[in-house]
This record gives sequence, structure tokens and C-alpha cells, in this order.
Amino acid sequence: MTSQSTGAAFTRRSFIGVAGGAAATALLAACSTGGGGGGGDTMKFWNMPWGGTEFNPLDKKITLAYEPKSGLPSAKYQAIQWANFTQTFSSAVASNTGPAVSSGGGTQAFQFANQGKIAYADDLLDSWKKDGIYDDFLPGLIDAMKTDEGYAAVPYNLDVRISWYNKSLMEQAGVESPKSWDEYMNVCAALKKIGVYGFGLGSGAGSFTGSHILAAFMINNGGGLFNADKKPDCVTPENIQAMEFILEIVKAGYSDPAAATYTSANVESQWKAKKFGFGWDGAGLPAGAVGDVAGDLVVGDPLTGPSGTKGGLYFPNNIMMYKNTPSQKGSEAFLTYYYKNMAPLWTKNTGIGLPPLKSIADTSEFKADVNKVKILADWQPILKTWAAPGGSGLFYNIANTVDGTAPMLDFTQSILGGKVDAKGALTKLQTSIEGLMK
Amino acid sequence: MSTESVAGALKKARRGVGVAGPGRSPGARPAKKRKNSHARVLLLFALPSLILLVLLNLYPVIYAGLQSLRNGDLISAGDFVGFSNYINVVQTPEFWHSAWFTLVFTVTGVFGSWAVGLGLALFLRTRIPANGLFKVLLLLPWVVPVVVSATSWNWLVATPQSPLPILFDALGFGNVLFLADPVLAQVTVCVFKVWVSFPFMMMMMSSALASVDINVYEASKVDGASSWQTFTQITLPIISRSTYISWILMTIFCVNDFPTIFLLTGGGPVNATRSLVVLAYSTVFQNFQTGPGVAIAFIMTLVLVVIATMLYRQIRKVNIE
Repeated sequence: MTSQSTGAAFTRRSFIGVAGGAAATALLAACSTGGGGGGGDTMKFWNMPWGGTEFNPLDKKITLAYEPKSGLPSAKYQAIQWANFTQTFSSAVASNTGPAVSSGGGTQAFQFANQGKIAYADDLLDSWKKDGIYDDFLPGLIDAMKTDEGYAAVPYNLDVRISWYNKSLMEQAGVESPKSWDEYMNVCAALKKIGVYGFGLGSGAGSFTGSHILAAFMINNGGGLFNADKKPDCVTPENIQAMEFILEIVKAGYSDPAAATYTSANVESQWKAKKFGFGWDGAGLPAGAVGDVAGDLVVGDPLTGPSGTKGGLYFPNNIMMYKNTPSQKGSEAFLTYYYKNMAPLWTKNTGIGLPPLKSIADTSEFKADVNKVKILADWQPILKTWAAPGGSGLFYNIANTVDGTAPMLDFTQSILGGKVDAKGALTKLQTSIEGLMK
Repeated sequence: MSTESVAGALKKARRGVGVAGPGRSPGARPAKKRKNSHARVLLLFALPSLILLVLLNLYPVIYAGLQSLRNGDLISAGDFVGFSNYINVVQTPEFWHSAWFTLVFTVTGVFGSWAVGLGLALFLRTRIPANGLFKVLLLLPWVVPVVVSATSWNWLVATPQSPLPILFDALGFGNVLFLADPVLAQVTVCVFKVWVSFPFMMMMMSSALASVDINVYEASKVDGASSWQTFTQITLPIISRSTYISWILMTIFCVNDFPTIFLLTGGGPVNATRSLVVLAYSTVFQNFQTGPGVAIAFIMTLVLVVIATMLYRQIRKVNIE
């Protein structure tokens, strides 16, 4: 499971889990004896298996090496598996037996913040302004954590949606990485001549990547799904133009006709079978089941839309602090230590997503992966969250309206089916999202 | 006890007198009173289970029922809105599309798996070599977890490089989109359901056929009945009770079947294979609309109860005949 393909799923599940937690809050809180977040002289840090098998042991080692200042709690490490993680978090938080600090699903912090369980990170970030960590974050990341009440979390690792191409197939087709929508259309046409699809993605059972990519094209064209008031605003000229472009691709046969129902595994098998010459996925695509093709996969360039804009979609995974902690100062001190010492998680290639800190991205070990370097250099600065174009900060309604919801999946499958018109499909999406926000 | 006394005891027993003495004759105590006392004892023994049942089943059902009358989401209970969730749900085209597909899926699943299961059960009655091995192999689709079989079927049909599309292409049907074409996706999901379910039907029909007296067939042969007449006039009526029971069970299995559909198509493409149970799931867990989602589930339950009652009456009718 790559972090790229799971990012959205985490978001969905996190919401469900939070919901379960909310339902159980009253009862469990009544039964609780306190002592959450660690209790006494220890505090709990829960982290997810963000990478391969070597990730959590190294992460634990870093955590347990933390030596708190006098009077502050030490840290206790717990790896939480992705399976049923939302239930794990929500029931623990509801019963006040949860962690003091944790990572989790991408929008988990915003859900818990909505329930009043999160300790906002404003003070922590202020302190980081003094010791340099704040300025070490890649541009735009911290803004994505901002809510009206404060910063719900701090950025941890990035899940991005970007373009990939198979350099051998591109050479065979006689084309180079496109830089604009027009060039992209030409690349698709050239790839079609050698029997390869140029718009490779999937939107089948459990796969939300397709919907992410359609939203990414809207953002690429200066559009997006939410306005500055955090209200859905789907039927805009930018979005219509973007979806008409996708429909043109689909109708021209540049997209796999079965893509609407492809799972992540199906998408990987198409790359492996050299049926996808150019496509859209997460940063971990080469690490998936793509076989020998992995060595041929190269990150594409961000495309410039017809109006000269660039953009795309990303999911800033994050670390949050909870109000239920033996010491808020202890939580902040631990996170400061953690962010100063977490670089080996990336430099030792544990498989975690892209780093949030420039200092890690600048290490020679990280720079050895040219694809990742290109993502951070070319893509990260132009990527936006679901909140675009109205804002950059994530918010509560994103989880229950667009991130993996049925209307978004239906919209994507209908566009990839090629039998709808852009405005009609976007109008239906707008109505559906409004319905979900009631 | 001597032989004589045993004989005497048996005599007494036939008259209703116990070995220990004459005691009270059966008629001495009113039958109704005895029955009531017996019922009370039974109730006492069953009480722990009943309490558990109430706690485990009735409470969630009542809680869900109340949720269906509110406009909440997974976080908040929401306001009481009466039956408006039910009214709103049945006014959406998505509901009726899902209801229609549920009907198609159920009818195909029930009768398709029954026909295949009965056919195989009849076939396995014949003396074929390795009969036991066949039975075990034929049970595999039922035994294998649906997650595994759905993944296998996905591998079989999902991409143009999958075995079945390659086969169909070779046969001249072109690039067949088993999951991406809405109609074909519906057909594929239904066929998958039949494949998963026929072993259950085969077992049910095999056990029903095993109870049929072989002499009946001998007699019909002597009377000159054809194979078809034997099947329709003897076999089917004799196994009808088991058939109706299996239909009831399979109807419930099909209407409530979530993994078969969700794992293979996720309800897509564009709602094509979204049954009512998948619609209920996506309404609650993808769209976070608890009230309408639970309302859909309750409507499903109501319809299932009606269908099961009708089939159960048919069973009673068969019993009487």
C-alpha cells in the first residue's frame, strides 16, 4: 500500500472513526479514569506505518531517545496499524486513553478539532519561529493546517498527485514530457499510435485517485471545488474548460476505456504491461507492483493550462497534539525534539512520503532519488489542497463532501465514461455536494 | 427387579403409572396448568439468552430506527425529522435504480444459483468416479472468502490484458469491458454472485434429494414416466420444501450482499451496480448521511420480511399438501 494511494482512504476512514468516537464519547468519558496521553511522567506518541517494515523500528528508536527536560514527561511509542485505525483513535480519544501526540489520517486533526479534542499548535509554531524549524518547512505547508481557531496540526509527510511517464514508451512514440495542455494532447496522440494510453489512471473500487486527478486538472486551470467562503463552487468556467479537456482526451481514445473501474492494482498492472505511457498517480508509483517498468518511470512536468496557470492537488499528512496530555509543554517539547531528529526516516529510505522540511530535502541521501527531488522542486510549490481555489487550509466539510464521497466518485466515473457534458456533470456534482452540506 | 416385576412395570407404564408407585394419574392435574408450569421453566432457562438477544439485537435496531428519524451525521445525532428521510429517499432516482438492480441481482442470484446447484446435485447423484472430490472442489467458491474470490474475478476480467477479455477478443467479440460497461458490469456481478452461491444451493438440494425414496423412481419407471416427467412430477415436488427454504435464505443473502458487489465494482460504473445495501453504505459511510442511509436499510428489511413471509407461507402450504 503506497501512501499515495491510501491518503484519501485514510481521510474517509478517519472521519468514520471520529464519528464512532463521537457517539461513544459521553459513555466512555464517563467511564474513563483520566490518565490519557500517557499519564504521570510519560506521554504517548502514536505513529502510523508510513513506510516499509523498517519505518516503525527506526521511528521508535528516535522517539525513545528523547530525553525530556526536568519536569516534562518522557515519550512512550506505539505503532498503530492502518487496519481499523480510526476506531482505534476515536475510541481511545473518546475514553481519554488516547495519545498526547499522534499522526493519523490526513483530515483526522480537523475532525478531532471540530470535537474540541485538539490542542492547537499555535504556541508550538511560535516557538519554532525562534529556533528555525518554522522556516525549514516547505512553502505553503503550514498554511494548510490553519483553521479559524488555530493550527490544527503540523505538516509531517506529503502525499501528492503528479504525472508520470514511461521514458522508453515516450521515446518509442517520439515525444518528450509535455509542459502544456496542448503538448499533452499531442503526447497522448503519439502514444495512441503505438497502442499506449496517455491518460493513465483509475477510479474503481476503493480507488480515489481518479477523482483527485480531475480535481487537480480543475486546480491546474485556476479552478477547484470550493470558494473563499468554503462553499462548493463547481460550475465555473475554469472547471468546465478543464473537464471539457478531459472529455476530449477520453473521447479521442487516449484514456483506457476501463479506467473508470480500475483499482490501484489494475492501474499498476497497466503500467507493468506497458499500456500506460503517461499517467497520473502518487509519488510512490515506482514502488508499487509495476515490475521492471519501475526503472523507466519518470516524473513529468507540471502542465500549464490554457490561461497560463499551473497547479495540482496534494494531501499534507500531519502530526497533531491532543488536549488530553500529561503536559502540553511536554507535547510541544517532544515534537520539537522529534522534528529536529526525524531526518533518518527519509535519509534511510524507510518508505515514508515526501518530507516537509527543506533540510531533509537537501540531504545527499534524499537527493539521490531524482524523481522525488523533481516532485519537491517542480510540483510541491504549485500544489494546492481540496480547499482551492478559495483557500489553502483544510476544513471539516472536505471530508464529508468531496474526499472519496459517492458524488465525487460518480462524477469521475461519468467523465471517464465520456458520455456526459462537462457543465452537466459539474452541475450535478455541485447539487450533490450542496446536498451533503445541508 | 425380576422379570415378572419388569413386565408389571411396563404394564403400569402403559397405564401412566410410574415404577415408584401409582402417583398422580395423567388426568389428575389439569393439562393447561402443567403446560404453563412447563413453559415457565423453559422461559427461565431461556431468560439469559433472551436478555442477551435483546441487548445485542433489539437495542441496536431501536437505536438505528431512531437514527432514521433524525437528520444527523456520524458525529451528531441531529434533529428529529419524522419520516422525511424515508419520504426523501424514495423520491430519489438513485433509490429506484438501486432497488431495480437489487431485484435483478436477487432474482438472478437466487434462481441462477438454484438452477446450477440443483443441476450439479442431480449430476453428483449419478455414479461418477471421484464423486467426493468433485463435491469438495465444487464447494470452493462458497468456502473461499469473498475478498479472495472478488480479487480473483477482478484479475480475470478487469483489464484488456485479463484472461477473459483476451479470450473474448480471440473469439471475435472485440475489447469487452466487463466492468467498465454499465450493462456488462451488472451481468458480471450477477454471474459472480451465482458462482459464489451455487455450492450452497448444491448442498441444500443434495440433502433434499438424499431424502427421496429410490423406490418412488423405480415405480415411476415401471409406470413409463419419462425423465422430464420424473423430474417435474416427482423430484421437484418432493424437494419443494427445501427449495423454498433455500430460496428464502438466498434471497436474504442476495439482498444483503455487500462484499460481492463492493469489492468487484464498488457499485460502479456510475451507479450501475449500486444495490440498495451498497447505496445504504455509501450514504452513511461515504456521504455521512446517517438518517437516509439507515432509512434505506429499514426499507430493505421491510421488503425482505414481506418476501420471506410469502415464501414461508408457501412452505406451510407445501407441508399441508
